[in-house]
Amino acid sequence: MTAYYLGLDMGSAFSKGVLMKTDRVVTSYACPTGGEIKVTAERIRDEVLLKAGAAKQDILKTVATGYGSKTVFFANVTVTDMSAHAKGVIHLCPSIRTVVDIGDLYSKVFRIDSQGNLQSFLLSGKCAGGSGRALTMIAKVLQLKIEEMGEIALRSTKKVEFSTGCAVFAESEAVSRIAEGVAKEDLLAGFYRALAAQLNALAERLGLEPDYAMVGGGARNAGLVKAMEDLYGFEIVVPPDPHMTAALGAALIAAETVRQEIKVRQ
Amino acid sequence: MAEEQRKPKKRMTATKAAASIGPMVKEFITGTNRARAEGKRKLAYTFIVCHHEEILRAMDVLPVWTENFAGICGVKRAAERFLQKAESLGFSRSLCTYALCGLGFDQWREELGEMPPDAPWGGQARPDFMISSGQILCDPRTKWYQAAQQFMPDVPIYNIDLPHPLFDPKKDHREVWGYYHKYIVDQLRGLVSFVEEQTGKKMDYDRLRELVALSDRTWNLVHETYELRQAVPCPMGTGDAMNTMVPLCFMMATQEAYDFYVNLKQELEEKIARGEGEVEDEKYRLLWGGGLPAWYALNDFNYLNSKGASFPAETTYRMVVPIYEMDIPETDDPIEHIAWKWLGYWTHWYDKARNRPGSEPDVERLIEYIENYKIDGVVMHLAFSCRTWHVGLIWQLHQLAKIYRPIPVLMLGGNGKGDKVQRELPSLILESDIIDITSYSEMDTRNKIDAFIETLESVRQTKAA
Ligand code: SF4
Repeated sequence: MTAYYLGLDMGSAFSKGVLMKTDRVVTSYACPTGGEIKVTAERIRDEVLLKAGAAKQDILKTVATGYGSKTVFFANVTVTDMSAHAKGVIHLCPSIRTVVDIGDLYSKVFRIDSQGNLQSFLLSGKCAGGSGRALTMIAKVLQLKIEEMGEIALRSTKKVEFSTGCAVFAESEAVSRIAEGVAKEDLLAGFYRALAAQLNALAERLGLEPDYAMVGGGARNAGLVKAMEDLYGFEIVVPPDPHMTAALGAALIAAETVRQEIKVRQ
Repeated sequence: MAEEQRKPKKRMTATKAAASIGPMVKEFITGTNRARAEGKRKLAYTFIVCHHEEILRAMDVLPVWTENFAGICGVKRAAERFLQKAESLGFSRSLCTYALCGLGFDQWREELGEMPPDAPWGGQARPDFMISSGQILCDPRTKWYQAAQQFMPDVPIYNIDLPHPLFDPKKDHREVWGYYHKYIVDQLRGLVSFVEEQTGKKMDYDRLRELVALSDRTWNLVHETYELRQAVPCPMGTGDAMNTMVPLCFMMATQEAYDFYVNLKQELEEKIARGEGEVEDEKYRLLWGGGLPAWYALNDFNYLNSKGASFPAETTYRMVVPIYEMDIPETDDPIEHIAWKWLGYWTHWYDKARNRPGSEPDVERLIEYIENYKIDGVVMHLAFSCRTWHVGLIWQLHQLAKIYRPIPVLMLGGNGKGDKVQRELPSLILESDIIDITSYSEMDTRNKIDAFIETLESVRQTKAA
């Protein structure tokens, strides 16, 4: 029997799955979380299994993470998304010590050691300010697709001050800026600077240690990454598929857990 | 409002003493209402940690602890309607929510001429006078009662100012504390005159001396009792200490408070003898490093306990250091003694802080507990509406990380060899409020706790011998 490990990241907006075979990623899948997390989790599992040509019983261990992880009834273990991201990031970029995760509802900054263990962390507060939700708001106002927003900001030529990273106020501020005739690219660049400043407040409280990475859906936004780099004054590594690192980390933890269990038995 | 209907699950206590606190608090709240009805004793609104209980009790004044009543509203998840009432009067929620809750309640009671409907434990009794205290830089402690006078213009206020010399790494506080002492003694003597005027009685200084001596004995006993929590496993955690603080903060200068700690001490000694801990399988020993708790979410302590985390010590509400260890002058005058005790407490960690570059008294206190109680991690709660106790907590953690990195762990280097490195003590910062439940999310809090436990576990597994 082939040994498969499944990592599931049940986020508040999107859910992702990574299937590993021994120590290699075989396939992955992502879709909106929707209202029924259990059903979505099963769907992701079935999709990755189908793509890999494997069956449920081939999965030796499933590790779930993310906001909906506790409802994944077939998961053997649940871990927090920071621990999962940490394992995923260190697997892809071993020199990273500080990670900024921009999720849909929350942003997090955390420090990790060379083994991908969580050292310390801070989360944004109860409101969605400084999180991916604010990006979605602005995309709606500007009638842009979320994927194209980052690149557009890179074309900005004029510095526009945007005063808030708050998801609610950002919307009304964007509307009035458009009415003032501010160009989309300048408005977006200004908005990213405000968001970066808010994330920086978290990062400064935590204390940063190089190298730095950004993950989560927000890390796919080149404009936001650039605003963060400009503010910090150093390079930020964005791993490939930064929205998938928690699912990858969960799969790695699944494989590691099984290895340890075997060791104990021997 | 919707959240208020979700009553909290009863918090499980580790000690019988902690479980006995609820009825005790209920009794002193209903007791003030009985006294109001009888009209024999004067009632005074006042604040905790002001070292003036002996004066009040010596003159038979019944304190009505306004912070306590707001906290009870929080525990019962019944504060929101009083907060909203105060907001409707124009008070902002970013003021101290204890004050807001009290003001909302008072306005409602005064408007109705009776207790608001379903007031927790019968409600807060109307005072005869109010004693505010602008200590520890808390502006609500001065302004709250002034604002309350809008609804009770006939109720007089006396304000006591209780300063202490600020820490200066280059100066010995003893150079200036004589001035502070004189000032505080004046303040307290002013309070005596005010209470004499209000009650029409003269202070009995022999009685005051006895009560001050009783308070001193209780104060030392609290310290000795809490020191027992150094035992492994720890017999009582911070969750329980949020109950057992009641006699210390609200019942000083009473025999009942002293007896309470005699019983608690005995209970802890028995638990230690049986090897019984707060949690069954103690894995992590945590320090509650600051912040008032989220009173409506005390169950979070049980959640932490369920992960094997115990809390042998806390800085919150543990406002004692043994009097025999304080470097303060002796005096027979009870008022002078109270003032020295006040100064001795606040300056207790100054010498230590001066001896460690970059340190501060609050950080020294953390270090002392971390070492004495074999602490693995620090938890703090930032309650947004109380600046007094919460500003500076994060800074304390930063200083702690800078000057105190005590955990050696093994870290695998690129060569596959284990290198011994130092890493900072893990810490967790929770954010919400003392009684404003709208600032709290159970899911976020539990997520943070889960991540913190994972951090502690990673340290546990890599801890070098
Ligand atoms: S601000 Fe803090 S210390 Fe002051 S009254 Fe409010 S809760 Fe108490």
